[in-house]
Amino acid sequence: MQYDKTVWQLLRKNISRGQMLGYALANVVGLSVVLIGLLFYSDSQHDNASSDRYFSQNYVVLSKRVEGIGFTAQTFTEAEIDTLERQPWVKKVGRFTASQFAAKGAVTLGGKELSTYLFMESVPDEFFDIKPRDWHFSPGDRRVPVVVSKDYLTLYNYGFAIPQGLPQLSEEIIGSLPLTLRLTGEDMKEEYLEATIVGFSSRLGTIAVPQSFMDWANAHYAKTEPQGTSRLIVETDPLASSDMSDYLSSRGIESSADTSDAGNIASFLALVSGVVGAGGLTVCLLALFILVLSLFLLLQKSRQTLRGLMLLGYHPREIGRYYALIVVATNAITLIVSLSAALLCRPFWDQGLVDIGLGQGAVWPMLAFAFIYMALATAFDLFIIRRRLDDIWKKG
Amino acid sequence: MSQPISQISLSRLLPQVFRGMEAAERIQQSAVWLEDAVTLERGCRLCIQAESGSGKSSLLSFIYGNRGDYDGQICFDGQDIRGLDTAAWCEIRRRHLALLPQEMRLFPELTVMQNLRLKNQLTHHKTEDEMLALLDRLGIAEKPVGQLSIGQQQRVAIIRAVCQPFDFILLDEPVSHLDRNNNLIVAEIVTEEATRNGAGIVSTSVGHGLLLDGAQTICL
Repeated sequence: MQYDKTVWQLLRKNISRGQMLGYALANVVGLSVVLIGLLFYSDSQHDNASSDRYFSQNYVVLSKRVEGIGFTAQTFTEAEIDTLERQPWVKKVGRFTASQFAAKGAVTLGGKELSTYLFMESVPDEFFDIKPRDWHFSPGDRRVPVVVSKDYLTLYNYGFAIPQGLPQLSEEIIGSLPLTLRLTGEDMKEEYLEATIVGFSSRLGTIAVPQSFMDWANAHYAKTEPQGTSRLIVETDPLASSDMSDYLSSRGIESSADTSDAGNIASFLALVSGVVGAGGLTVCLLALFILVLSLFLLLQKSRQTLRGLMLLGYHPREIGRYYALIVVATNAITLIVSLSAALLCRPFWDQGLVDIGLGQGAVWPMLAFAFIYMALATAFDLFIIRRRLDDIWKKG
Repeated sequence: MSQPISQISLSRLLPQVFRGMEAAERIQQSAVWLEDAVTLERGCRLCIQAESGSGKSSLLSFIYGNRGDYDGQICFDGQDIRGLDTAAWCEIRRRHLALLPQEMRLFPELTVMQNLRLKNQLTHHKTEDEMLALLDRLGIAEKPVGQLSIGQQQRVAIIRAVCQPFDFILLDEPVSHLDRNNNLIVAEIVTEEATRNGAGIVSTSVGHGLLLDGAQTICL
C-alpha cells in the first residue's frame, strides 16, 4: 500500500510541529557536539607526519647519568640502542657524534679577540629543528658551517656581553662574523679553518657541525680511539610516551625534556574530546527522551482516530508506516545537519592542530558513529511506535 | 482467513461486566447470554431487540473482535476467534465482516467521500460512481462530515459499511436517527448488498429497528 493522503491528513492533525522541531533542534545540538568531539579526538590523536613538530618534548636527548666523578665516558652499547629503538614510544633514534680532537674558536669583536676551546657534535640532519643554509662540508673545504644552541647566544647577550663591555649581538650579526677554527691533532699539527654560524637551534643544546665534517675531522685529528655513543636524540611518539619515564629511570638514563604525562598534549586533547563528547551524548539522550515523550503524546492524542482506522481494517503496521516516515525524515535531516555542522567546525581547530604536528585525522569514525547512533535511535523510535500501536489495537 | 465465514456460533457468552448477575432475570430470559449454542448462519436476517444497557453494542463488538472482555466462546466456522491474530482480523474486517458502530466513528475533519474512500481503498469494492449513487439515494451531499446532522452521518456510515465485501453485516442501531422513509431506503440498500454477497444481516435496536423483510427478531 502506498502512503495515502487522506490517512496522512488524518494522522497529521495531531502532530505538533513545535515538539518535532524541539526534538530535531535538541538532537542536532547534541549530535553535533558529539560529532565535533569525535572529529576533534580523531584529529588530535592523528600524528600528522607531513608537518613540523612544534613541541620540543617530541624530541628528547638521552645520556647516561654520571655519578660522582668519572673519567670514562658513559656510553650507550649497541644492545641498549637496539632495545631503545624497539620501545613503542620511540619513533626514531639519532646518535650524537662527539669531536675527539682539540678545537679552539676565535672571533674578533670590537677590536678584542675572543677565543675559547670548543667541543663539537654532529647529529643526523633529520633531527634538526631548522634547515640551515649551506649545510654541507666536503673534505678539502676551508669553510665549516656551524649551528649553535640558541641558549648560548642568550647566555652571551644577557650574562656575558654587558659586564664585559662587549656588544649584544643579533642572530644575523653573529652569523656574519668570521670565526676562526683551530684543530689540533695527535701529532700537534694544527689546521685553521673558517667557521660560519649558519643557524641557532632551540632543540640541540650543543655546537653542531655537519656529520661529514665530523667524520672527516675525527679521522684526521682524533687523539683517542673512537668512543661509543654517549648521547642520543630520540623522536618520541606523543601517543605512547606514558611508558617513557619508567623506562628511562629504571636504566639510569637522563632525559633533557619533560616526559611527564601532563606534558602529553595528545592525552590532554583526548581528555577534552571525551568531556565534549560525553556532554553531547547527554544532550542526544535527552533529545531522544523528548522524541519518545512526543510520540507517546501524539499517539495518545490520536487514539480515537487510530482506533477508527483499525476498525475499518487498517493494520497497525500500515498506520505505523506514516509515523515511521516522520521519524526517519526528521532523523535523516538531523543527521545531515549535524554532520555538516561538525565538518564546518573543523577548520576552527584544523590549522592549530596541524601547527603542532597533529590534525587531519580520519573522518570515518565520526561518520560511523553518526550513522550507527542514528540507526539505533531510529530503530528505538520505530520500536516505540510499534509497541504503542499494538497497545492501542489490543486495549482500544 | 480468506475463506467466507458461513457460521458464527456463540457459546455460554456473557460480558464480563455481567459477572455475578448470571441469575438475574434479564440474563436468564436472554436468547443470547449464557445460551449453550446460538448460531448465526450466513444469509440470515436477524434483528436483536433489547433495552438500553443490555449489551447489544458489546455483543457486536465481541463478534467484530473489537473487545475481548467476555466469558464464553465465539467461533467463526468452529474456530475460536480469540486465536485470531492482528493480520487475520484486518483481513476479516476488509472481506468478511462489515460493521456499523452505534457511534458511527466517522472522521469529522474529512468530507463524506473521503470517509467512504478511506474504507473503499482497502477493499476496492465500489467505484466512485457507485458510492455517489448510494449517497444520492440517501440524499447526502459531498461536504465535511462535521457539518452533517446525526441522521445524515448515520446514512454516510451505513454506506461506508457496505463499501466492502462481507459475509455478515453487523448494524448497531442503524436507524436510530432516521425517519421511516430513510429507514426503508437503508433497509433496501443493506438487503441488496447482503443478497449480492450472500451475506447475513445482524441488526440491533431498542425498539425502532431496521425494517428488514422477513427478519427474525430475538430479545437479548
